[in-house]
Amino acid sequence: MRTSLRTTLGFIAGAVLCATAGAQSISLKGSDTLGAKLVPQLVESFKSKHEGVKFEIAAEGSATAFPALANGTAQIGMSSRKAKPEEITAARAKGVILNEVEVCHDMLVVITHKSNPIKSLTKDQVAKIFTGQVKDWSEVGGTPGPISIYTRNTSSGTYKDWQTLAMGGRNYPSSSQKMVGTEQIAQEVAKNKNGIGYVGLAFARASGVTAVKIDGVEPTAANSKKYIYSRACYFYVPENADALAKEFVAFASGPEGQEIAKKIGFVPNH
Amino acid sequence: MKNPEQLIRRGVHRKGIAEGIVKTFLGCMTWAVIAVALMIFGRMIWDGAPVFFKREAPFVNIDFLTKKTETLHVFDDAEGNRHQLAASDFHRWTESHGSDAVFNEQTFSYCGGGIAGPIIGTALLTLLSVLMALFFGVSAAIYLSEYAKQGRFIGWVRLAILNLAGVPSIVFGLFGFAVFVLAAPVLTDAPADRSLLSIPLGFTHLSFQGWGSSLIAGAATLACMILPVIITASEESLKAVPQGFREASLALGATRWQTIRKSVLPFALPGILTSSVLSLARAAGETAPIMFTAAVAAKDDLPWQGSGGPLGVLTGQVQALPYHIYTLAARIPTSEYTERAQFGSVFVFLLMIFLFSAASVVLRNRVRSKLKW
Amino acid sequence: MPEPLPSQAPSGHPFRRKGRSTEGLIKAFFGGNAALTIVILVLIIVFLLREGIGFFPAYRNELQNYRKSGLEFVDIARSDLTAHEEMGSLLNRAYFAQINSSCRIEMLRSQEAMSIANYLSEATAPAHDALARVKEAAGENATPAELLEKLSAKYRSLLENALAGKSGEGFPPTPHLSSAEQKLLCDQIAARDPLSTDDPPFATELQAALSAKQEQASAPLASFKEAIDAFQSTSSALDALVTETSDAVKTTKEAAVLHEIEVRKRETLLDAAKTAKPELRSQLEADAASAVMTEPVDFNVAMAPVLARIPEFKEANAALIAGLTEVSSKLPEAFSDDKANRYLKAFRAATPAMVAETADTVGKLEAWRADLPVEMGSTISGFISGRDWITGGEWQDFYGIMPLFVGSLMISVIALAFAIPFGVGAAIYTNQLAGRRQQRFVKPTIEFLQAIPSVVLGFVGIAVLGTLLQEVSSADSLSWIPGFPIQQRLNMFTAGCLLGLMAIPTIFTLSEDAINNVPAAFAEASDALGASKLQTIFRVTVPAAISGILAAVLLGLGRVIGETMVVLLVAGNRIQIPDFTDGLGSVFQPAHTLTGIIAQELGEVPFGSVHYRALFVVGILLFVIVLAINWTAQRLLRRFRISQN
Repeated sequence: MRTSLRTTLGFIAGAVLCATAGAQSISLKGSDTLGAKLVPQLVESFKSKHEGVKFEIAAEGSATAFPALANGTAQIGMSSRKAKPEEITAARAKGVILNEVEVCHDMLVVITHKSNPIKSLTKDQVAKIFTGQVKDWSEVGGTPGPISIYTRNTSSGTYKDWQTLAMGGRNYPSSSQKMVGTEQIAQEVAKNKNGIGYVGLAFARASGVTAVKIDGVEPTAANSKKYIYSRACYFYVPENADALAKEFVAFASGPEGQEIAKKIGFVPNH
Repeated sequence: MKNPEQLIRRGVHRKGIAEGIVKTFLGCMTWAVIAVALMIFGRMIWDGAPVFFKREAPFVNIDFLTKKTETLHVFDDAEGNRHQLAASDFHRWTESHGSDAVFNEQTFSYCGGGIAGPIIGTALLTLLSVLMALFFGVSAAIYLSEYAKQGRFIGWVRLAILNLAGVPSIVFGLFGFAVFVLAAPVLTDAPADRSLLSIPLGFTHLSFQGWGSSLIAGAATLACMILPVIITASEESLKAVPQGFREASLALGATRWQTIRKSVLPFALPGILTSSVLSLARAAGETAPIMFTAAVAAKDDLPWQGSGGPLGVLTGQVQALPYHIYTLAARIPTSEYTERAQFGSVFVFLLMIFLFSAASVVLRNRVRSKLKW
Repeated sequence: MPEPLPSQAPSGHPFRRKGRSTEGLIKAFFGGNAALTIVILVLIIVFLLREGIGFFPAYRNELQNYRKSGLEFVDIARSDLTAHEEMGSLLNRAYFAQINSSCRIEMLRSQEAMSIANYLSEATAPAHDALARVKEAAGENATPAELLEKLSAKYRSLLENALAGKSGEGFPPTPHLSSAEQKLLCDQIAARDPLSTDDPPFATELQAALSAKQEQASAPLASFKEAIDAFQSTSSALDALVTETSDAVKTTKEAAVLHEIEVRKRETLLDAAKTAKPELRSQLEADAASAVMTEPVDFNVAMAPVLARIPEFKEANAALIAGLTEVSSKLPEAFSDDKANRYLKAFRAATPAMVAETADTVGKLEAWRADLPVEMGSTISGFISGRDWITGGEWQDFYGIMPLFVGSLMISVIALAFAIPFGVGAAIYTNQLAGRRQQRFVKPTIEFLQAIPSVVLGFVGIAVLGTLLQEVSSADSLSWIPGFPIQQRLNMFTAGCLLGLMAIPTIFTLSEDAINNVPAAFAEASDALGASKLQTIFRVTVPAAISGILAAVLLGLGRVIGETMVVLLVAGNRIQIPDFTDGLGSVFQPAHTLTGIIAQELGEVPFGSVHYRALFVVGILLFVIVLAINWTAQRLLRRFRISQN
């Protein structure tokens, strides 16, 4: 009894005391688009060159990057959209000045179930489908069946990018289903013959889905100039970040990092 | 037919049939529940056991239990053979074969390597939370069973216990997030802006700015959640100690505390421990309370490998098995390559829970047969 | 227990005094620990309230901005547009349903041909992709012959495997293609160049046949199609207006929000300056002075050009109504296809309501005032009865918990629909009818179910049950069940099944207790009066235990409503009140829940934002609901005990 008492007291005192210590490893937070595939592989390849570097990746959506950077719980923020002025202001109010680095470009691809006969849509049709104006596949020339829309959840940069790129800033219909990750959208669309969703180019090769041509342009890296739904992805780094974090960012936007990005299905910077 | 005895028999017979039908019907329902449960377990075991067990010497897949979580790379080589390698092995492979030899590469996050991080994280979270809850819970139970007299205070305490037991786990998550992550006291030289209250102590500040998302915050949240269970169970075991023990001790001139320490606690301890093993299973199984207070999807180093010193264990985030399973279920599509990680993790998790529960049942039976007054 | 009386010892005795003070301390220590439970409960309430209480003023402020900057105005106009689009969609669906009904066979044949082509190309994809990459990488240079040979061999073997039906899920079923046609298709694909992805000629043929048939079917409907197109084009004026004005008001709102942020920053800096050391103070004050860089927005000026267009809105609105009456007169009486008829009927039924609503809009637009304050009461009632939970959007966030609450409720009802019969039935069987050996097996096994962590059940739902139910539901023989075939794999029914399984042990254990606690005298008396076993059980024992069973059901309900992981993973996360027009089939729709929304969104919102506070309010609501349920259950139990005495 007495020992357990002592241990417990020790733990509590310890907890209070040790909260002063800070982590030294590089922690990345933010976008799932980047954090699910590209960044883990960049990290793994960076680690094979730098022994003993530790990384923590939390990919819960771009919106999580900026509070974390401002609070100092992350050294690098990943974002699939540009930071909003209020996010930059909020960070600056806490004395953190953010530098923006373009990591790569990404194309947002509309995917449907592989059995769906529709292989091509126009920009207007996409907007109408995702805002809920078109409710049935027959309205765009497909097999009759109510359309199920799969989107990302609200913290995702992709969610907002899609709203501006494809939907003219209008709200998603309440009939849309919100998925935790990009890969889950691909999985659900593959399981629902009336499903439609959008994913980054890197995820468009998932089995069971087809990538739809938009206005006749096929979503491939070669068409990145012609394809309308394309966007840049960013790293945000505090100006006073430590050298290692900056080196990692340089590595990611350098030739080696770009090569990895290309291999996974992102469009490298030019 | 005029024989009344026959009439009675017929009645009995009909009733017998009705009874038989109802009995079969209810029996079928009962066994259906068990069958469904067994099917679920069966499926998890069927797919998970091959990951956990091996045919060769140690018979247990040590790699899966001791390696860190990594990305899984699936690719063909030039001969068209399919390879499945964890990231570190993959880099070794590409170094020796050249990256041009990789065809049709697919990657699955969190699916390669093993689950050492989540296992250790869950173990730490559970142990720490049960230790805390045991300390406070047993003390509270001693008060309730040994000192307290009926009164308003006791009424309030019992009401609180009853209500705490019913609070949904996600609300505990919110509570843990608001209290331990954002408002618990720490010693720091530079209090954060959002600190609730900052008391200068001269050499440093005592600031109520929270412990951040960390092992200690998660364990404290879990401890609050299992506290009512432990109090109730401990009080029961204390009450089960015969009154005569206390009376004899008091009659010999011992004080109340001496009586509790020497002639009540030792006899109640086995029962208390049994209940704590059961709450161990509950603490290990919960996901919602640790989602925002402690868990992280991917972490490179084990808790003690961070640079925060020995106490860094407590302030770092940890991976945890239930959260790992959540990540695997919610974000990673099921495919032939991800099943190993998914069903393997679920199997190990169920095995852990099963062992805790079985241990508590066995302990309970042994304690009951041993301690008879 | 007799307390040792302190007065028996001499009051001045040293041992006595020492004993008493330490005893008192120890007692206080234990008492303090007991008080901890109260402290935790109070802390839960206090902190939930602390974070949640600020929600309503902040939300009200947001709504005020929404009104002031004119977003509300545009939304009023937009509601007509949405209704109009909906009507257009109904007509379009009717049109296509009618066409497709006459080309069903062609459509199926074409689909089946495509599915074969898809199956084969998916099976050969690895070799195909590798070949393509090797060719591409080689560019102008010749590709290494050996590698090419290897990959081609791989391609052939994959193709053979696939043709034999051994790859993936096997050869897709093709009931509408003859075996000769199927063979022709396979041969054409097999003969195709490995690098080509063109559709085989036969598939193209079928596609052409389908198009021809569709053309043929659409000929008699040409005038209808024209009417639809004309109807849809009547909204273009309003569409353009709404788009233009929404851009304008959005700019206003963004400017206002930015200004507000800057003002808040200045206040924080000034506050900091007040307590700062003198040498830092000037710096902070300078920062504060330069913090506000934008002008405050004058809403009236910003809104003036938008309000000036009200006549245009009026015109566009009139066009909408005119279009609606026009198209109504041109609709065909009825279609030969059932589905098309249903859409037509829905259109006809909705027309008067839409005309009335559209006519109202002009009045609403004219009556709209930017400076009308948003009442606290309407904020709260909007939160409680609001049908939209829209967050993280570009336009305006709305927090209405109705869809979440309905989702939670429906899932609980489904779960209880399973758990009550099975749980109570099993309890009656185990306690009254089963033999001793069965009892000894059944009881611990069902109790053991409680130990399955919810996240594992959620995983089971995603990995096994969802897909299984979906596959079962697409069997033709089951299509009479409402809602079948299930479209979304993750839905309320799947979640309800799993939660039912979770609630069974709770209901079982407590009901069994309740039945067990019925005094044996009841059953004996009943037996003695000549009742049969069944009569005794259902007329005496179970009624006597009914309040205990009810309490068990309530506690099960509490457990189901508070459960998070299963619904988060399996319920489908669609924030919408289910469409009840499907009748019972609506249980197969996805939904979001009170618990799920907290788990999904808390990790990603900035601290202290309106959204963050909204989640805490949801938490408070959940806490209150579950507490009320448990409270009622406890009261029932207490009454039950009294009745026993």
